[in-house]
Amino acid sequence: MMRETRIRRLPVLLSSLVALALAVLPLPALLESLRPDFLVVVVLYWSVESPRAGGLSLAFFAGLALDVLNGVVLGQHALALTLISAWATHLRLRIRVFSMLTQCLTIFALLTGYQFVLFWIDGATGNPVTTFSRWLAPVIGALLWPLLVGLLGKLHER
Amino acid sequence: MVAFRNTDPSGRTTGLLLRCVLYSLLALGLMIVDKRYENLAQIRRWLSVVVYPVQVAVASPFEGWDWFRESVTTRDALRADKARLEAELRLAQFRLQRFAALEAESERLRGLRESTADVTDHFIIGRIMDLQLDAFRERVLVDKGAHDGIYVGQAVLDSGGVFGQVARVGQLTSEVILLSDAAHAIPVQINRNGLRTIAVGTGDTNRLKLPYLPTSADVVAGDLVLTSGLGGGFPAGYPVGTVAEVRRDPAQSLAEVEVKPAAALDRSRELMFVWLKPRVAELPPIAPPKPAAAKPGGVDK
Repeated sequence: MMRETRIRRLPVLLSSLVALALAVLPLPALLESLRPDFLVVVVLYWSVESPRAGGLSLAFFAGLALDVLNGVVLGQHALALTLISAWATHLRLRIRVFSMLTQCLTIFALLTGYQFVLFWIDGATGNPVTTFSRWLAPVIGALLWPLLVGLLGKLHER
Repeated sequence: MVAFRNTDPSGRTTGLLLRCVLYSLLALGLMIVDKRYENLAQIRRWLSVVVYPVQVAVASPFEGWDWFRESVTTRDALRADKARLEAELRLAQFRLQRFAALEAESERLRGLRESTADVTDHFIIGRIMDLQLDAFRERVLVDKGAHDGIYVGQAVLDSGGVFGQVARVGQLTSEVILLSDAAHAIPVQINRNGLRTIAVGTGDTNRLKLPYLPTSADVVAGDLVLTSGLGGGFPAGYPVGTVAEVRRDPAQSLAEVEVKPAAALDRSRELMFVWLKPRVAELPPIAPPKPAAAKPGGVDK
């Protein structure tokens, strides 16, 4: 069924599950506002690295899981994650040859886009969140990127 | 699924735009259906069962640690605890002696006025699961759900007073919105003089406010604030908090009143879900006005 290059799904699923758990892990209040969107960064990584293993289906269902866990309107995170995952997949050949700094900046732009979609839907559904700390998550997420590339790269190559 | 994974030999994914549009439309459709119609409540209830293992997996190490810490406490600590609990129990029983008589008297007086009283019928205890729902909203996840008969809008108390109400129900879990959430409001009454108003959350766990009191209102720091029971969502007469500060600016028509919540909103682990006894007597001729923010608990079973 599969062609000569087997698509390894296990690392994708495993890392996504861990990221999902990290997304709901209780943290002290001080660290809480610094929590990056773990799952989003992981989905972005797989979109860039191996879109055939996860791709948009992964993005959509990961987003749906976040919707259910966060108790927001169904489809909010799913839409945001699908959009930026598609964007990342579109850019992936370029992202791979970028220097690490440029990669981080690109990821920052993508994460900001993600937060913007969430922000927009929050407003449209009538529960706006106006705290500034929401825009901190993309910064932390972008700083997480080199770490993730190192970590998941090992997992992927094995 | 196969059509969705169309790849050519070079590994380039084809139809990316198409799939992106498809999934986006699906997500948009879900949002519209979820917002407009209640049909998704059932689906959502079961979806919450799918993510339940993740929630349990994350929460259990913390609960395990709590259990471990409890099981290695020393004999002395346990004895001190026991002595303290016994003293508390004695005090509570002492107060209860008068309670039965007072309750009967209250029923009698209410009977005289031909009004109806909401008396809590029964309650169950739920535990807060150690999970972060949304960093920007004051909500907690509790390990009781539709399976236990929890419904949306149900009043939730802790040992100190009113905690919040049920915002969303899953099959095994439910989401409770705290009194202090900026989107939450509860009809209240000042115990000293019966002044009715609405307490609104601020987004800060230690502060509520009473934004609708005129500067001339008779309210002072230290006043006890109770639920008024209007609107039918919450049982009447439970403590909401005490007035912490009253600021009166003669230039403004409304006073700024801050209330400190009676419930330990940031520390409680066990919560009580309350069922109100159905109103037995006939309804009063004019229904009390419903405050817009406190939804009467629709029976969602």
